[in-house]
Amino acid sequence: MRAFRKDGGAYVARVDSTERAVLIELVDDVVALLSAHAGAPEPLAHAEDPLQALRMAVEDKPTPQDPALRRLLPDASVDPDVNAEFRRLTEDDLRASKTDSLLRLRAVLQGAQPDVVVLPSEAGRVAAALTDVRLVTSERLGVRNDSDADRLYRLVGSDPLGDHHPEEMRRRFLATVYLVLGMLQESLVDLMLTDLGTPAS
Amino acid sequence: MDVTVTSMPLADLRRDEAALVEGWTTVVWNDPVNLMSYVTYVFRSYFGYSQEKAEALMRQVHEEGQATVASGSREQMEIDVQAMHGFGLWATAQPAL
Repeated sequence: MRAFRKDGGAYVARVDSTERAVLIELVDDVVALLSAHAGAPEPLAHAEDPLQALRMAVEDKPTPQDPALRRLLPDASVDPDVNAEFRRLTEDDLRASKTDSLLRLRAVLQGAQPDVVVLPSEAGRVAAALTDVRLVTSERLGVRNDSDADRLYRLVGSDPLGDHHPEEMRRRFLATVYLVLGMLQESLVDLMLTDLGTPAS
Repeated sequence: MDVTVTSMPLADLRRDEAALVEGWTTVVWNDPVNLMSYVTYVFRSYFGYSQEKAEALMRQVHEEGQATVASGSREQMEIDVQAMHGFGLWATAQPAL
């Protein structure tokens, strides 16, 4: 992997095909996570009773039980009423916009030959999608605070245990992917920040 | 950290004035995943804050666990919170103290 750099008008990174396949699989997992728990019992278009359809549209959406999904769709208020209203009004839109961004990231990875090319116009969505994939991956790795995050760096940098336990190897692999995603995002965002320029003070 | 504020952009000033009138705030919470540069980018690109203000708020989130990043009407704060969630930051809308 080579981090993002500015090339012509675009942000370009080099990610080899094996790494890309892993990243695409993770993106697909997050897209599935966002759609699988959407909770609508049946599509609105198929509801026979229009009143029932309306009721479903305004139904309360509980805070997600899956902690990884909760990272993507967090509570908007400590006040349960404000929170419930916010979810009712915005959660579907948020799921849709996150899914859009993830599919944009997926297309960028899929289209790499072998350079991953991100146009400035789509860089915000790609960076947001990288965040969402990192949020879900970190939750799966049990990262709850800054020292958990530091431990991942040590885990990846250390020698594997002698017995190469499958769970340990899986965790190592996921931690490595998490750090690679962080490096990709960091290099992309550094360029995006530079391109925002320095407004005159 | 020593932050010297020499001049406040007009947009920032308007938001601070609005806080007194409208009474709601957007608070961003620390998390161990979001990169400092990304949080700074979000504050700059979405709120239009200067690099200095965006970085100061980012450091406040990181070091104190939270920062009030905007203020205004409840409706506007809910729009801001939804945008923050879209970026992958955890934010809440709260009545101003």
